Amino acid sequence: MDSVSTPPVTQQSSLRKASQRFFKSISARIGLILTVLIIVLALLAPILRPYDPATARDFAARLQPPGAVHLLGTDGLGRDMLTLIWYGTRISLLVSVLSVGLGLITGTLMGLVAGYFRGWWETIIGWFTDILLAFPSILLAIAIASIDLNFPPLFTAVFNPDLLNVMIAVGIVQVPIFTRLTRSMVLSLREQGFVQTVRAFGAKPGRIIFLHILPSSLAPLVVQATLSIGTATLEAAGLGFLGLGAKPPTPELGTMLSDSFNNGYALSKSWTILFPGLMITLIVLAFNLLGDGLRDSLDPRSNR
Amino acid sequence: MIRRLKRWQAALCVLVAILTVTLSNCAQQAPTPSTEGGNSPSGSPAESTALVFGSPGDPKSLEPGNVEDGNSLYVQQQIYDRIVDYKDGSTELEPALATEWSASDDNLTWTFKLREGVKFHDGTEFNAEAIKVNFERWWDPNHPLGFRDAGKTYAIWEGLFGGYKGDEDSLLQAVNTPDEYTVEFVLKQPFAAFPAAIGSAYFGIASPTAIEQAGADYGIAGSQAIGTGPFKFVEWRTGDRIVLEANPDYWNGAPKSQEVVFRFITEPASRLAELRAASIDFTVDIAPDQLSELQSDANLKEVRRPPFNVGYLALNPSYEPLAKKEVRQAIAMALNRKQIVDSFWSGLATSDGQFMPSSLKQYQDANLGDYEYNPDQAKQMLADAGYPNGFPLELWYMPVSRPYFPTPKPIAEAFAADLQAVGIQVTLNTKDWAAYLDDRYKPPGYQAFMLGWTGDYGDPDNFMYYHFGPGGTKDLGNWENPEVFRLLEEARQESEESERAKLYAQAEKIIFDEALRVPIVHSEPLLAQRANLIGWTPSPLSTESFETVSKS
Amino acid sequence: MLRYIAKRLLDLLPVILGITILVFLFLKLIPGNPAIVLLGPRATPDQIASLSKQLGLDQPLPLQYLAFISKLVRFDLGKSIISGIPIWQEIKTRFPATIELSVAAMLISMVLGIPAGIIAAVKKNGWVDNIAMSTSLLGVSMPVYWLGLLLIYLFAVNLHWLPPSGRLGINVDLQPITGFYILDSILTLNFRALGDVLAHLILPALTVGTIPLAILARITRSAMLEVLSQDYIRTARAKGLLERWVIMKHALKNALLPVVTIIGLQFGTLLSGAILTETIFSWPGIGSWIYNGILTRDYPVVQGGVVFVAIVFVLINLLVDISYAFLDPRIQYK
Repeated sequence: MDSVSTPPVTQQSSLRKASQRFFKSISARIGLILTVLIIVLALLAPILRPYDPATARDFAARLQPPGAVHLLGTDGLGRDMLTLIWYGTRISLLVSVLSVGLGLITGTLMGLVAGYFRGWWETIIGWFTDILLAFPSILLAIAIASIDLNFPPLFTAVFNPDLLNVMIAVGIVQVPIFTRLTRSMVLSLREQGFVQTVRAFGAKPGRIIFLHILPSSLAPLVVQATLSIGTATLEAAGLGFLGLGAKPPTPELGTMLSDSFNNGYALSKSWTILFPGLMITLIVLAFNLLGDGLRDSLDPRSNR
Repeated sequence: MIRRLKRWQAALCVLVAILTVTLSNCAQQAPTPSTEGGNSPSGSPAESTALVFGSPGDPKSLEPGNVEDGNSLYVQQQIYDRIVDYKDGSTELEPALATEWSASDDNLTWTFKLREGVKFHDGTEFNAEAIKVNFERWWDPNHPLGFRDAGKTYAIWEGLFGGYKGDEDSLLQAVNTPDEYTVEFVLKQPFAAFPAAIGSAYFGIASPTAIEQAGADYGIAGSQAIGTGPFKFVEWRTGDRIVLEANPDYWNGAPKSQEVVFRFITEPASRLAELRAASIDFTVDIAPDQLSELQSDANLKEVRRPPFNVGYLALNPSYEPLAKKEVRQAIAMALNRKQIVDSFWSGLATSDGQFMPSSLKQYQDANLGDYEYNPDQAKQMLADAGYPNGFPLELWYMPVSRPYFPTPKPIAEAFAADLQAVGIQVTLNTKDWAAYLDDRYKPPGYQAFMLGWTGDYGDPDNFMYYHFGPGGTKDLGNWENPEVFRLLEEARQESEESERAKLYAQAEKIIFDEALRVPIVHSEPLLAQRANLIGWTPSPLSTESFETVSKS
Repeated sequence: MLRYIAKRLLDLLPVILGITILVFLFLKLIPGNPAIVLLGPRATPDQIASLSKQLGLDQPLPLQYLAFISKLVRFDLGKSIISGIPIWQEIKTRFPATIELSVAAMLISMVLGIPAGIIAAVKKNGWVDNIAMSTSLLGVSMPVYWLGLLLIYLFAVNLHWLPPSGRLGINVDLQPITGFYILDSILTLNFRALGDVLAHLILPALTVGTIPLAILARITRSAMLEVLSQDYIRTARAKGLLERWVIMKHALKNALLPVVTIIGLQFGTLLSGAILTETIFSWPGIGSWIYNGILTRDYPVVQGGVVFVAIVFVLINLLVDISYAFLDPRIQYK
């Protein structure tokens, strides 16, 4: 942890070292390239699309196996699987990135408060975290995703309201992870020399937390956030598989799997489950590789 | 360092590549016909006489009169007999626990002569008193064996017979037992379909002794379900199976098979996989899209249940734009129903303008016609009705598969596309099944929703009165048409077949014109069996007894 | 030590209380009325209202919660609304199925994961290491239910090697004694049943076990690497001890500590993975039961099931902590 908690002067050089380590590692590079590729493709989906996922359906060409016209075959509505997966990736990324953002912000704030103020704050937040962690995560997500939440129109204008529920569900599941991580870092940081010094000069808690403690804990948080995007993608796809989340015609990878499974052709028209599942795996793999690479380079002593 | 990571990369790539290739090879193999099947590793059922039925789930309960789901009724059908029964594969009545029956001249009293010498599986004598106990516990809210304080409601009784003892709408007035083998039902008003209604699968006759012993727990897993039927209850392992054994003393002769096992397999894909692996012998609720897989396996046979259902799109007139009849008709014309039915039912369904399925065609108006697919005219009608730019419409689709809509979601997406084409802005919506059924009654109800109906018994009353009669339109903003109400009430009381037919035909004409529940489909539910199974004749009424089923 | 355990148990009480509150609140927030579920599609509003009253659903929330808690402490979890089966009865018959699946999954992941991790660490950067680590990375990246479907497709539908779903073949006569079918078939010396039970167990266990397998392999590897770089290992090697002996006796013993922790933690998450996997394999366990309860709005099932699973999860974590304390003498029991 010394590389991130030392005063700012050497921080730049340690960052350079970290990035050197990162780019030396090929698996990290693969992760980075895959991630960038997936993000770019997702962003370009509306421009480069071969078909329109919402309207390009042809009932006469339902459940066609992969071929020249439809590279990955067609689904139960005669839509092009490649297009659907492409758009589904976009949705999955959107959901997982935003929900991790939600979990990161909420969890970090809670962790900072618990770790810095200790006392009752720590007890209550710790209690809350323990409870959330005691639930199998998918159950927790199902419960939250099933609630009828009424969002202000401002939100629903920007985001698809069906997806908002999933984002919140997946985000809340991530909260305790970030809370615990931040808290443990704050606990070690607040006793360190540079924090003690600014405190002795009478700095306010808010200032200390946000200007001194938080920046020093960024590296592990970034690593955890990257890895969490992977888990969030899996979690969101799981909810989609259970029928919670994207409403038709919004294509979503988990929903594509459940459409195939629930309508009975998962085992006979196997391309309808094979490719969406592969795509989920690829997204998660990319972020896991990237996260591992980041951890190895930012915290070289960690071996995991 | 670099060398190590290069290998890392290589290993990962090779692994992903191998996996992709293996799996996509399998994907390509899938459509080729497989004939080898049937060499299951875990002991093939061929070596024993147990019939294995792939059921889509656990029964809710084995208590007659208190459940309505197919999973429960299928098992109950094996354990219990009803007073009257239906001929194999039809909706015609035949004697069961009653050997003959007749109505009094005023059509208010139905008298049933009961079969003598029948015993329940627990040895209890079957007689008129047993019938009386069974019916009164469903009908009489104060019956000591009704256990209503334990939350039992027998809702189906009210559904089919208007109400309970003491209710104004109760159709039944009294159950009398003039002698040990005669039972009389006294009605408040004539009800031509009474014998058919009490012959429906809900009303199996259970042993009064067994009910008394088990109390409120009668019928749940762990209790003993006791009837007079062809099979005796042996064991229920929840989430796994129910085991039944043959009743050698069955009044209609011992069943053909020694043992029937209901295995619970929720997903249609898994049921077909189990069937191909020969670990089940026959099953129901196969999706139409599985037909080609089914046909490609020479060890399997497709079985079609005679169509006796309707899948409809309900249009709620309490939503402003839909209040106008012309708008509803325009929607009916905007839907390319023929194409949708052809695409999603693999040829296992028909589409026409009739609300009732064709097996009730003696009650239909043969010249009724149908709404032709005509988007241009639909657009024109919308414009004439004051909606030249369409209107927003929330369309609800069922979250579960039902025989009339085996794959509701893609079908709803097809509806949405057709309606979008005439300018109606559709948003699709769903919620879990229980809430779906519940919330359609909450005013103002859904704007438009998919639902359907499978007949309980072979009478038009069961289709028409329930959907368009008094109390039947709560999900359509309590729409009422005095003429339709009058026709349906009259038809209920009329005993002359030809007169009833005329009344129903008239009612159907008005209903067609109103386009409230636009009939989309009458489907032949797809079932499947191993080729070596014989004697299975599916009933149009969704469940049938397995007494004649066996394996060669 | 006893005081340590007692203190940890006491710490659990507020957490368990919180769990019950959260489960209760979630069920109230979810739309839908259980009375409708019970009455079916034909129910009239009057019937619904009177049944809601009977079920106590018209009471104010705090009262409903108190009623729930006061029954819970008497181990009365109520009955399923749908089937009328007491929740305890159902848990008793289904929990063994889930445990059997979880234990099998854990065994598979230990038997494959720990050796893979050891070999990977010893032959660091070798081919075994590369393959093991990339496989494990792939393992944690896959949706488990998807993997389950692929396994069914490959081994049951196409190759006919293993049964596609269920827990026990129909023609196998096995009367449950303990509810753990493997144990039951051994107790009754019924080896045909044992074979059948194992055949049914392999695919779902592999599915549930994939993630713990991948994680175990990675953890074992890194723990071994850490230990192998320690001074005493170098000393042992320098003393000329056999390499295999060094690894087995000295390194493995010390690397085991984090591995045990992870095994315990993963055992808890197995319950989570079981929900979708049990559904796909029609496995009659707790997971598919709760899932069904959610689908049918069977409040008591979801309430009872989730509270039970969460408490088991918490208790397993406690056991892990305690065993950790036993294994690692450095931990102080304050």
